[in-house]
Amino acid sequence: MSLTLAFAAILIVALAAGYAGYARARGLRTAGRLHSLPSYHGIHALLWAAIPALLVLAAWTPVQTRLVNQAVMASPEGQALPDFDMQREAIFTEAREIARGEREAGFNPESSALAPRIAEAETRYALAGGLAAVMVALLAGVVAVRRSSVTFRARHGVERWLMGLLIGASLIAILTTLGILLSLMFESLRFFEKVPPASFLFATEWSPQTALRADQAGSSGAFGSVPLFWGTIFIGAIIAMIVAVPLGLMCAIYLTQYAHPRVRSWLKPILEILAGVPTVVYGYFAALTVAPAVRDFGLSIGISNASSESALAAGLVMGIMIIPFISSMADDSIAAVPQAMRDGSLAMGATKSETITKVLLPAALPGVVGGVLLAVSRAIGETMIVVMAAGLAANLTANPFESVTTVTTQIVQLLTGDQEFDSAKTLAAFALGLALFLITLFLNLIALHVVRKYREQYE
Amino acid sequence: MSSATNARWTDGSMERRVRRRYAKERRFKLLGLGAVTLSVLFLAFLLYSMASRGLSGFVHYEAAVPVDFSKTDLFLDPAALRGPDAAQALADANLGGAISQSASAVYGQGAEDMFAEAATRDLAKQIQANPDLLASPTTLWLPVSSRIDIAAKQDTEPAAERLVAALESRDALRRTFNADFLSSADATDPSSVGVWGALKGSFLTIVITMLLAFPVGVLAAVYLEEFAPQNRWTDAIEVSINNLAAVPSIIFGLLGLAVFLNVMHLPRSAPLVGGLTLALMTMPVIVIAGRNAIKSVPPSIRDAALGVGASKMQVVMHHVLPLAIPGIMTGTIIGMARALGETAPLLMIGMRAFIAAPPGGFVDPATVLPVQIFLWSDEVDRGFVEKTSAAIIVLLLFMLLMNGLAIYLRNRFERRW
Repeated sequence: MSLTLAFAAILIVALAAGYAGYARARGLRTAGRLHSLPSYHGIHALLWAAIPALLVLAAWTPVQTRLVNQAVMASPEGQALPDFDMQREAIFTEAREIARGEREAGFNPESSALAPRIAEAETRYALAGGLAAVMVALLAGVVAVRRSSVTFRARHGVERWLMGLLIGASLIAILTTLGILLSLMFESLRFFEKVPPASFLFATEWSPQTALRADQAGSSGAFGSVPLFWGTIFIGAIIAMIVAVPLGLMCAIYLTQYAHPRVRSWLKPILEILAGVPTVVYGYFAALTVAPAVRDFGLSIGISNASSESALAAGLVMGIMIIPFISSMADDSIAAVPQAMRDGSLAMGATKSETITKVLLPAALPGVVGGVLLAVSRAIGETMIVVMAAGLAANLTANPFESVTTVTTQIVQLLTGDQEFDSAKTLAAFALGLALFLITLFLNLIALHVVRKYREQYE
Repeated sequence: MSSATNARWTDGSMERRVRRRYAKERRFKLLGLGAVTLSVLFLAFLLYSMASRGLSGFVHYEAAVPVDFSKTDLFLDPAALRGPDAAQALADANLGGAISQSASAVYGQGAEDMFAEAATRDLAKQIQANPDLLASPTTLWLPVSSRIDIAAKQDTEPAAERLVAALESRDALRRTFNADFLSSADATDPSSVGVWGALKGSFLTIVITMLLAFPVGVLAAVYLEEFAPQNRWTDAIEVSINNLAAVPSIIFGLLGLAVFLNVMHLPRSAPLVGGLTLALMTMPVIVIAGRNAIKSVPPSIRDAALGVGASKMQVVMHHVLPLAIPGIMTGTIIGMARALGETAPLLMIGMRAFIAAPPGGFVDPATVLPVQIFLWSDEVDRGFVEKTSAAIIVLLLFMLLMNGLAIYLRNRFERRW
């Protein structure tokens, strides 16, 4: 019995239990006033039959994989496998695919011999696990149906299950955060076994090409991440913000304070389109249109080393992408300033612009700063624009016409293309990812805190 | 009181000062208008540059070529075309060779490569539809190769230009809608690439994302807004959801790579893994939108339902949630649109492979539209520039459609109490 079949069997048992519970409760109606509607009795039986059995099945799947592996390794074909981990893994994967009929023959000759063993072990263990799960379904279903009576509080039982489901769903967010932290940390620790953390954090030379063979020359690999972080900050926190903060802020001021409501109702969605354009489109726009224009401009003002992949091109386009983000954050925090403050200023005879610059903006400043921090966090995590327009050279330069590289660009570079999984080169991507995650986490926490604390002041 | 503050409102210096202040006011307002205009112009320029480059990708040129199959070294038995092996027989026959022989016979040296893969495929279709073509000399209209196509659309290399001029002088060149672009998958030759494979991959991926992120997001929002007690656990959940919504998308790609591929051994490049990864990314967006929608349902509705004896769970499931659904849908569509345009996390899980056939299911290797755009943007062949922009037009149309739907839903269904 395959696990899919067991799954189908459990569903059938559950539906049957549900119908049995429903029918039984309907029959009970002649005996007195039911506490719960018959449909609740049905759902109650259905949930009891389905959920524990499905949990057993879910818990069994990884156990089965391990048991199958053990059984296969104990067989004579398994004993003959090479010791080397990666190769063994590859042969195993192939054999598994052959055993499932997904492919005809393997790349490695050993896998064909292994396949029948895997198929045999899988059948054996799937039968055991599947039968156990179906038994659980039957047992729980029968018990649940038999519990139905006039006074039985089926609705409460159903609501307890639902509550469990609600809590489970909200725990997924925590699990995801944990998953991110653990997977990044685990791989990063393996990276730091090969490269000392100090040289990763403070050295200034980045050239991740490691030698494939021991006798190869000139590619020892240097993992100093300072130029990457500089490039990231230069593009995302400096150039992009020089574009986005004034434009976004002025857009928000104009749309909230000056524009006619009808004009505003048209312009705001149009600006929001800027935020909805996929970043790969911005990247293509930056690489194909903006970057050549920036280079020509650089050459025309006499900068001889203007590169066709420049920090300026990527930063400009990223700034445009961020405009609606800043403007809606600023919009929110300006709107949160109490009307009385504005009225007071206007009543004193201040013009609108004086009210805005001297009263509204200072009052809204914490919210605006929080918004800018969130925007920075988004800009330094942005990938496609910098991958397509910023270049690969790890330069420690303040010249915006030169090519710089960023953390996200390097992650993409390190993890695409031919790779062996245990090299320092591949693991470095996870260390960079961890650093990026921690930096954005830090920025987000400060920003969320500032925004929230500020909101409370006026409420 | 000093004489300075005693000055009258009609005093010249005061009027000057007021004029200066009003001028400053006007300048400030114009600055604001300028910022909005500049932003809108950026958007207009972006859209214009994509449209001007990409629209030509939806049309291609076809050239007429007189063919006499009996004179080429094509060997194709008309009887085989009626059997079940017709497609195989056509693939085995040297159709491409026959075309280039005929083309160079008519248009001279340099014309043997004026047709490419797309023409061969087109000819196979024509023959299959009408096997009598083989019997007598005819004139065929076939899509030209990318080099000639570009030459016909704009000025490029002289050799191709000359050929185009020769074709035009004989009235043997025409523009047609490139239906293949919408119906075929990736290829190495820009004249025969299409977006269908990537669209199908996007569709399969987004279905998985939707199936996972929507229920989980809604249930989590309901719990946090209606049932959660105020304690350390729910605080931790709140903070992690708010933070996840702002975590860089590439980090989700790293998570997908480490967990789904390296630990769980799910198939690489598959829509299943892409959908799982994007679901984790989209879920917090749906939770936040869902919480806002649930929060805006007035307490009087809850009180009324509780008052007639509904349980807390019934109040939420029968009254609050149905009223909040339009708001949740709006947030979900926006989240889905974001997921649909996402590239970086999918690069991490290997959806950047060259895939020449549309995926058949959730575990087949596939690519998605944004990744396809990224891959084409890396191609050196000039023909890919217009194809990339054309694919971007398709993607942007989808985005506009989804965002429009979200705005429509918001205006149509969202209730203000």
